[in-house]
Amino acid sequence: MTTTQRGTMKRTWSRAARMAGVAVAVLWALVPATIGAQVRMTVPPQSEPVALQGATIHTVTSGVIENGTIVLEDGVITAIGTDVDIPAGARVVDATGKHIYPGLIDAFSTVGIAEIGAVDVSNDVNELGDFNPNVRADIAVNAESRHIGTTRSAGVLTTLTTPGGGLVSGMSSALALEGWSWEEMSMQSAAALNVNWPNPNPGRFRGFGGFRFGPQEDRPSYEEQIEQLKDFFGEARAYRDAVAAGAEVRSDSRYAAMIPVFDGEIPVVVAADGAAQINDAITWAQEEGFRIVIRGGQDAIHVADRLVAEDIPVILTSTMAAPGRQYEGYDGAYSMPARLHEAGVRFAISGGSGALYSNRLPFEAGVAVAFGLPEEEALKAVTINPAQFLGLDDRIGSLEPGKQATFLITTGTPLDMTSDIEQAYIQGRELDMTDIQKFFFEKYMEKVRQQMRRVIS
Amino acid sequence: MRATLSTIAFAAVLATSAQAQQASRTQPVEGMRDNGTGYHALVGARVVTGPGQVLDEATIVIRDGLIQSVGRGTDAPAGARVWDLDGLTVYPGFIDAHADLEMDAVPEGGDIGPTHWNPQVRAWFSTTRNLADDEDRRSALRSQGFGTALVVPKEGLFRGTASVIGLGDEGVRDRVLRPDVAQAIGFQRSFELGGSYPNSAMGTIALMKQTLMDADWYMRAWEAYEASGRAFLPPETSEALAALEDAVHGSQPVVFETGSEEEYLRAHGLATEFGLTPWFRGNGLEYRLIDVLRGRTDPLIVPLDFPDAPDVGYPGAALDASLADLRHWYLAPTSPGQLAEAGVRFAITTDGLSSLNEFLPNLRIAVARGLAADDALAALTTTPASWLGIDRTHGTITEGKVANLVVSEGDLFTEEATVRDVWVQGRVYGITRPAQIDPRGSWEIASDDEWGFDAVLVLEGSLNRLRGYLDIASTGPELPGGARVDLASARAVAETGRIDARFNGEVLGYQGMALLSGSVRGDEFYGWTSLPNGADPSFRGTRTEGFEGPERGTVAMDVPDIDLPFIRPMMDYGRSSIPEQPAAVVVRNATVWTQGPEGILEGADLLIRAGTIEAVGMDLDAPGGAVEIDATGKHVTPGLIDPHIHSGVSAVNESGFAIVPEVRMGDVVTHNNIWMYRQVAGGLTTAHIKHGSANPIGGENVFVKMRWGSLPEDLKLENPPRTVKFALGENPKRRQGRYPDTRMGTQEIIRDHFMAARDYEREWQQWEETGEGLPPRRDLRMEAILDILNQELLISSHGYRADEFLALVRLAEEFGFRVQTLQHGVEAYKIASELAESNVAAVVWSDWGSFKLEAYDATLYNARILIEAGVVTSLHSDNSEIASRMNWEAGKLLRTGLTPEQALSTVTIGSARAMAIDDQVGSLEPGKDGDFVIWSGDPLSQFTRAEETWIDGRRYFSLGEDAAMRDQIAQERTQLIQAILSIEGGGGGRNVEMEGN
Repeated sequence: MTTTQRGTMKRTWSRAARMAGVAVAVLWALVPATIGAQVRMTVPPQSEPVALQGATIHTVTSGVIENGTIVLEDGVITAIGTDVDIPAGARVVDATGKHIYPGLIDAFSTVGIAEIGAVDVSNDVNELGDFNPNVRADIAVNAESRHIGTTRSAGVLTTLTTPGGGLVSGMSSALALEGWSWEEMSMQSAAALNVNWPNPNPGRFRGFGGFRFGPQEDRPSYEEQIEQLKDFFGEARAYRDAVAAGAEVRSDSRYAAMIPVFDGEIPVVVAADGAAQINDAITWAQEEGFRIVIRGGQDAIHVADRLVAEDIPVILTSTMAAPGRQYEGYDGAYSMPARLHEAGVRFAISGGSGALYSNRLPFEAGVAVAFGLPEEEALKAVTINPAQFLGLDDRIGSLEPGKQATFLITTGTPLDMTSDIEQAYIQGRELDMTDIQKFFFEKYMEKVRQQMRRVIS
Repeated sequence: MRATLSTIAFAAVLATSAQAQQASRTQPVEGMRDNGTGYHALVGARVVTGPGQVLDEATIVIRDGLIQSVGRGTDAPAGARVWDLDGLTVYPGFIDAHADLEMDAVPEGGDIGPTHWNPQVRAWFSTTRNLADDEDRRSALRSQGFGTALVVPKEGLFRGTASVIGLGDEGVRDRVLRPDVAQAIGFQRSFELGGSYPNSAMGTIALMKQTLMDADWYMRAWEAYEASGRAFLPPETSEALAALEDAVHGSQPVVFETGSEEEYLRAHGLATEFGLTPWFRGNGLEYRLIDVLRGRTDPLIVPLDFPDAPDVGYPGAALDASLADLRHWYLAPTSPGQLAEAGVRFAITTDGLSSLNEFLPNLRIAVARGLAADDALAALTTTPASWLGIDRTHGTITEGKVANLVVSEGDLFTEEATVRDVWVQGRVYGITRPAQIDPRGSWEIASDDEWGFDAVLVLEGSLNRLRGYLDIASTGPELPGGARVDLASARAVAETGRIDARFNGEVLGYQGMALLSGSVRGDEFYGWTSLPNGADPSFRGTRTEGFEGPERGTVAMDVPDIDLPFIRPMMDYGRSSIPEQPAAVVVRNATVWTQGPEGILEGADLLIRAGTIEAVGMDLDAPGGAVEIDATGKHVTPGLIDPHIHSGVSAVNESGFAIVPEVRMGDVVTHNNIWMYRQVAGGLTTAHIKHGSANPIGGENVFVKMRWGSLPEDLKLENPPRTVKFALGENPKRRQGRYPDTRMGTQEIIRDHFMAARDYEREWQQWEETGEGLPPRRDLRMEAILDILNQELLISSHGYRADEFLALVRLAEEFGFRVQTLQHGVEAYKIASELAESNVAAVVWSDWGSFKLEAYDATLYNARILIEAGVVTSLHSDNSEIASRMNWEAGKLLRTGLTPEQALSTVTIGSARAMAIDDQVGSLEPGKDGDFVIWSGDPLSQFTRAEETWIDGRRYFSLGEDAAMRDQIAQERTQLIQAILSIEGGGGGRNVEMEGN
């Protein structure tokens, strides 16, 4: 790429930052003028203060502010309320009649590391072997993945992109879905260690709690696998203790990767769906003294008392799904969040129902509203709750001064398709809301128009 | 602590009968003749001469294999060998109407000769011609009381002919009673026979139809050849088609082996369509079809294969037990009893049991669970005898009939009885040797030996399940005293009058088992032990008390009486009946999305009469007695339509050939489909169940309505258009070793078949004009392709990419017809204008994509672009679960800028138009079917749920009824799980126990 072209690109960013969603004439002047659309452009970091005025602001943690103003500087929310000072030089955006929500968080995603389901080489989800605590999702994230734009258009601005497979799958990475490279996107490289709890009854569960791909045949028994898991963690703990004691040990990157887990810095997310699995996983975590989050949780309601008593949160992976058992109500999955809420279990909802990308996350939460969950709880389940469970709530999950300016401007709740998501900000960057799907829309609507003109003439 | 009967099963011919008469035997006798007298008198038994007919203390006289007389009294004629059967019971020998003698093993290298192109078609196979020395199987059948059987071949789809044979040890030429009386057909192919087609349930039925038609043609073709004076070359030679001649003309019965409710219904349909004379081998699920079977008179032969109880042994397991499985466990043993009560005649077979030894125990379970013993006997004797055409000679104990008898200790149907002997054609086969000693009672035994001890030995229980204990009173020098130990096993050996027992030597201070043996003579006991320390002290003893208990166990129902009302399907959420259809239904004051010219009406009414929409509008007059529904605040839409699902059929893909339009999904609809309930709960009322995508030209699809609780035929949409599945792109080319491997080849194989169909048509025309040469044969595949070319079988093509769709649309146009719909159509938007111009409808997803390479260019805006271009557009699910929430799929399109009415049209009128069923469904307009949904709010909102779903003016779903069903399911599951847990040992599937031992 020549210097001249690079200069051109640079000018493009600033335009895009000011005029998001509008065709970027400078760049697209290079291609035939008949194509009026563009593929998503990455925008530069926030360079001037911005104040959005007149919106209904859904803070999640501090209620709803009508006709409110939100101020952002250097990617961070500096003020929020009905009576706030707008800093000098701020760009003021009229958001009258609009709603502002925190960006949604998908606590269980493969965005960036999985591209096309049936094309194995396009997927980097499952590493070989049963114990891979050292693998981290973020470094494999393709920043140009088509799914990033589509996911953002649905209001999901942060994903916990998560490896799968084996017993210990690796580290989820928290990704802000904007940036030129994975390095720029990664908010936390090792956000949680993922464990796939063995399945005592293979074939019983659909496997949404873990990933369904990966070889399952010739597995050792349930008990044997738990034994293996315990043994591995025992070795890892010994390694960490030896390192802490200053003993000379041969280096082992797998055990080294787990030191933050033993130090309580990051949680262990355990994929478990069956009642027996969840119970056994909790018992194990308590013996180990880990902070544990259950992921999957199809049978969580049968373990609700214990989950409440031990204050163990759950990431549900299949709310928009059929019930797991024939006798269960047709709405067994839809109503699970409402039932857990009534039982007092803390939970998040993830977009894990078999999608390769996270754009259905809002609806996974919305369906719970149709089946009894209060709307504000559904919103928490895709914002502040996953942020808390995964140690990100100091930065995202709600609209509060000091948190990152990662939010949505909408015509209504992002959990319902009857409202539109018009604009999104990530860390103060006003995103280019184009995505590959909109690109195809623009391009092929143009084809329809051309052909209609031809027919008429 | 069980012990085995003193009478070990044995197989021995105790007396030979006279062989077939000298004058009618072909084989010369070598050496000395061995005839015996063939003259027997069975004296003193209780004789059940036939169902409901008992003679106490009767005598049966047998002469030369036949029953010479039977009557009360104990006088034996002079010269007859007398068999004292005092205390025993004699029944007519059983007849197994569907026995498997495992005689048709597949030959290595396959069948030879001009048989049939398809290795699964073995109609030429004759059980008579292949009768072999199958001593083990015959003897096993005899041990369960059988003297006669219809031997049925089991390999392939068309399996060959079944024969009635005697189960005695005569030579093969003397065993056959009626050779090759029926053709046998099964629905499960034999993998050993090979061949790739058919490999699905619908392919199987298609092959059956084609083969039956071919058999009919085969006769005519040969006749035409002969009639011409052999003026041209003859038709092909096929032993299989030749063997089917009598069957296709109804003059030879066809025995269908059916493995499920659905297979029974399919077999019945096939037999009716082709005018066959059907017999049915049932499947143990007859209790689910009692209403259908009532009044039917075709021979029905049921197995006694009862399921094990579902595992409910720990909470996690109990959580997984479905009502369907629990009910099946409880109800399957009641099936024979229910059939009898419904007046259905049936026979019972051993076929289907994993071991023949389960037969009598299961028979007793069936009796304990409601089958009258006389009905059971009829099902094993008179009924099969009449169907097999041997009732003049078999089935009862009657003067002049063949001497086939079962001699038992005890009542075979209600007690733990033992088959003593079975007589077949006047020959007796010992099954169990009679108990010759009865060691039960209390024995005082003592020893003078250094290592001996004094004890009381107690033996009790039934003779064949002996149990007992030792009370050790005083002990040897170093042993503790006064202990009791249960015998770990005990049995009595008839031949030697000896008992053998073992017990844990710990009671005597040893580590290990101690053995105890003793010879019993009257009340005297001479015994010895073998102790773990190597000592073998001897004992003497006397019986101080006899045994006073029942002679043998009776079989009684041990499961609690649970009232399980009939439901259909027999599973969770099954209905006790189809919902009522009120004469009129009026829904008041709703937001009505008509999806017709009237648009969305606020505060409007909807009136349904006799299942059909009569009016939509404001303040409608409803007839008196109309069911009034206040829908204030609710939304009402047409019932939703999904043009592409795969649930609700027994199979999806027939991939044996690349081109299979002759197979029909309509042949394999199943009502045992929980998805249907979930789908109707989500507002779906009509669906198009499609063949899979393994073939460039797949099978014919079927339209169903979600009439949950109906049988398959009643689920089908009335007067539907016919549609056929095509598939383009990755799926049809990925089958290894089968043409095509590219999109280019896919196009060409379709074109080639289009041309072949035109050739076929021309051949027929020529023959009809001239009548010369061989008559052409009807070819279902070619007929289907002709229907496609003539636009009578509408193409509904799977595919993803724009190129492949465009190619198919153009190919159809080249042949002068139109493609009805493209399905999936991930790239349909790229050819929207072309589709509009060619009048091809598009059936697409909302936002599904990227799961495979050809789905990578998916866009949510697909439907929007198509609609803008004027293409008739619908959504589809291709997924059982998504089909239950199609309103939300449509709702997603709101974000592309479609209006709400446009968005909803993609799951209502747009779908109906795409599938050419818009004259019946898809909108709320007068004259259309009364299919509608009442929603809690805006049907396109993620926050809305369906509250009621109506089909044909019948309410198939409501939240209230759903809640009531859940309560009922919870209650039944609890009762059934408790029933299993209450059975000792956690319920091993046997839901009766033997009392009195």
